[in-house]
Amino acid sequence: MMGPWRSFVLKASSIDISTHKHSLVKSSLESQLKTLLPRGRVFTSAAQLAGYGADGLGYKNHIPDAVVIPADAEELVGFMKGAKALHVPVILRGAGTSLSGGPVAAQGGVIVHTSALKRIREMNVKGFWCEVECGVALNDLDAALKPHGVFYPPDPSSGPVCTLGGNVASNAGGAHCFRYGVTSNYVLGVEAVTLDGTVHRFGGPAGGRGPWREDWKRFMIGSEGTLAAFTRFWLRLLPLPEKVWTFRATYPDLKTTEAAIHALVAHTSYPAAIEMLDPRGVAMVESSQMACGLPEGSFMLLVEIDGPEPLVNARVEPVAELLRRAGSKDVMFSDEDELRKKLWKARKAAGGLLGQLSPAYVVQDAVIPKRALAEVLQLVYDEADAAGIPAVNVFHAGDGNLHPNFLFDSRVPGDLDKVELISKRLMQRVIEVGGTLSGEHGIGNDKSSYMPLVFGPDSMRLQLAVPASFNPAHQMNPLKVFDNRRFAA
Amino acid sequence: MTPALQSSISRSNYFSNCTHCGFCLAVCPTYKLTGDENNSPRGRLRLWSEEASGRLSKDKWTDFYTEECVGCLACETACPATVPYGELFEQTRHQHVASNRFKPKLQLRLASAAVQRLLIFNLAMLPTRLLRRMGARVHRFLFPGRPAVFQSTAAYADELMQRHRPTGPRVAFLTGCLMEAAFREINFATLRVLIENNCRVIIPEGQGCCGAFQEHTGLDGVEKLRAQNRRAFCSLDVDAIVSNSSGCGYALGKALHPNQQVRDVLGFLGELGPVKRQRANNDETRVYVDLPCHLVHGQKMEGIPTKVLDATGYHWELAPNAKDCCGSGGVYNIQKPENAHAILKEKSAFLNEAEGAPVILATSNHVCMMQWHSAGVAGLVTRPYEVRHVIQLLDPREEVFS
Repeated sequence: MMGPWRSFVLKASSIDISTHKHSLVKSSLESQLKTLLPRGRVFTSAAQLAGYGADGLGYKNHIPDAVVIPADAEELVGFMKGAKALHVPVILRGAGTSLSGGPVAAQGGVIVHTSALKRIREMNVKGFWCEVECGVALNDLDAALKPHGVFYPPDPSSGPVCTLGGNVASNAGGAHCFRYGVTSNYVLGVEAVTLDGTVHRFGGPAGGRGPWREDWKRFMIGSEGTLAAFTRFWLRLLPLPEKVWTFRATYPDLKTTEAAIHALVAHTSYPAAIEMLDPRGVAMVESSQMACGLPEGSFMLLVEIDGPEPLVNARVEPVAELLRRAGSKDVMFSDEDELRKKLWKARKAAGGLLGQLSPAYVVQDAVIPKRALAEVLQLVYDEADAAGIPAVNVFHAGDGNLHPNFLFDSRVPGDLDKVELISKRLMQRVIEVGGTLSGEHGIGNDKSSYMPLVFGPDSMRLQLAVPASFNPAHQMNPLKVFDNRRFAA
Repeated sequence: MTPALQSSISRSNYFSNCTHCGFCLAVCPTYKLTGDENNSPRGRLRLWSEEASGRLSKDKWTDFYTEECVGCLACETACPATVPYGELFEQTRHQHVASNRFKPKLQLRLASAAVQRLLIFNLAMLPTRLLRRMGARVHRFLFPGRPAVFQSTAAYADELMQRHRPTGPRVAFLTGCLMEAAFREINFATLRVLIENNCRVIIPEGQGCCGAFQEHTGLDGVEKLRAQNRRAFCSLDVDAIVSNSSGCGYALGKALHPNQQVRDVLGFLGELGPVKRQRANNDETRVYVDLPCHLVHGQKMEGIPTKVLDATGYHWELAPNAKDCCGSGGVYNIQKPENAHAILKEKSAFLNEAEGAPVILATSNHVCMMQWHSAGVAGLVTRPYEVRHVIQLLDPREEVFS
């Protein structure tokens, strides 16, 4: 009787000690954070941390040790100054809509939610630039700019909620990037705070310079929170297009759709956006509240042209003719805002619509040369069908930026493994045809394991040296981008 | 399978519909107010599902964030995955109240009991009607109006029907609890408008409160009230069942059979094409129309039909962010007055600079009217303005109080 009894006592007391130790560490972290953020908010209760476990990749959960919401930029700078001494990872988070597991506490630590930094500080319409804090939501900026006849072109689908900070951190793109380019094409300057609390300005408005050489700004854009925290940006604006026409064309198969894409890309009308929904994407839209009368079983292209009115109007018929000639018997086009918005809403809500079909999904973000489009898409279907995993493709066809969505149920054992295997095979093929891992979502912790497929050991070593020079212990957003980038306290 | 198990499974499936895309954050009044993700629909869903699956133990913060929700349902409109957030929220709040995790304020508990006995409630509210009729400003929520003190909506309907003998569609009308007890003049205006538009109005006997009050508070009694209303409305041979309060209409819709749609009276009139009111050429009245959450996000109407708003004869426009919540949230402005005040502050700021003399803020839900009226009392709006139900602007006997 003595043996088991003694081991039970030992076991119970060891749990007690570790729990006690854990709560001591936690309460000490909490008090340190409260000192660093006297005006902001500090969360450490389990129920306050639960909401911050995941980004848009909802099935992956990483509970942080704490979450803080700095009251303003000044407090964020103060926090960064003291953050090193916390000896825990520091993760910056905008609205948490990313799809790559970027702003999550993969190695525990403190999530810094920048939701209070949401001021548009200046709109210099004549100079075609604006200055915004990092927590401004993309569509809020658009709404503020619109009455002045200017716009900020990058348009990721999460626009209603995603923040400029997240956009810059992941170098976000969007449907209209085909013509307009991605976030990095519009960032004039970045204000960033490094872990020692020093504030650095990379670039600035109207050719203005910070204390860093101009090109160093590019290190910050797309750095996924591994280098520094952002406080504000200076962004380049463009005049709003005078006229916009949106086309919708459906095709019976992949081959004709691909022909249309190739013709569009080379066409002198230079479309602003070329988007594609496959038959499963079409079915998903049509069975939802976003239904807009798309024929069953078809591949759909959503195309937009814009510019000065007489010029764009003259291009409408040639574009429609091009779409027909490629094999569409169903080309529709409109310049009516209501109709256009409806189509775009259906396209942009696609990620969320997947929730109606499946409890979880993984979306890939590979970019491939357009010549390989049909081949790689066929591979997606074949692999997914063979594994019994539904795949839905809704993506930026003009850029060759694929978004195959693999639907699964994380509660079903083995489902996730199948999805990961398909993803890996897909990535291998993407690399073989000369493509790359990510067009706009970032690497996060979802695609970090694929990095060695693209980059050799020397390149990886040098790339890792960049975050290491900003925070040698890799305290900023560890386990992101690089699998082995672990914070060593 | 037991109903409880079935319900817990369907809950869990609904939870898993949420892909965590975050579209709900942009429209959630409490997220916008606090910037705290737990205080958003996807945050709350996560808390409830984690607790339901046993990964999170009961926590006072889960209770806190649940209580914080206004229940405006803007997230349901924004949600591409069609998570039935409102239903999950109501279930959760009811569970929290039943297990003493959340206790609605005393006045709400008393009111909830009272509205289940309409006769007593109407009697108890007689002084309120009297004071309103006399023009006394007794409470920040009581907007001006001249309700009948003794004559009921049903009696007035009889009188009007006898006098005018309309021959058009047969319409059953939900008189409501607070609408009948305190804001009866809006019911009367509704009757006049419906009958002027040739509708035969029936006031079903034995109808009760729609149950929205219990849904908003999480208190017991919803099922009983729904059953009572099913008895009162379901066997009627009518062309439409209408309500003049979007929250009540939405709640009654949940009680009745799916094939018996409850229509908002303004939506119904929009189809009929209501009689247009004439205004003087030099009338400088400007009407700002705010859309109740339970009209656009609950009943999923696009808005108040343009035909109806044009028929008021006034120069009208939608209030800025008309589809956003005003902070009323049924009883939210009583349960969480600080949040409701902060939401209203942002929402009502435009009125201070709004053009028009006089300025009217019009909506179609009495609790929103109460909230909008309180903006003046609280000093958020410092210029004079009137709060009216849109139906009152169509009323052949429209009264002006300014």
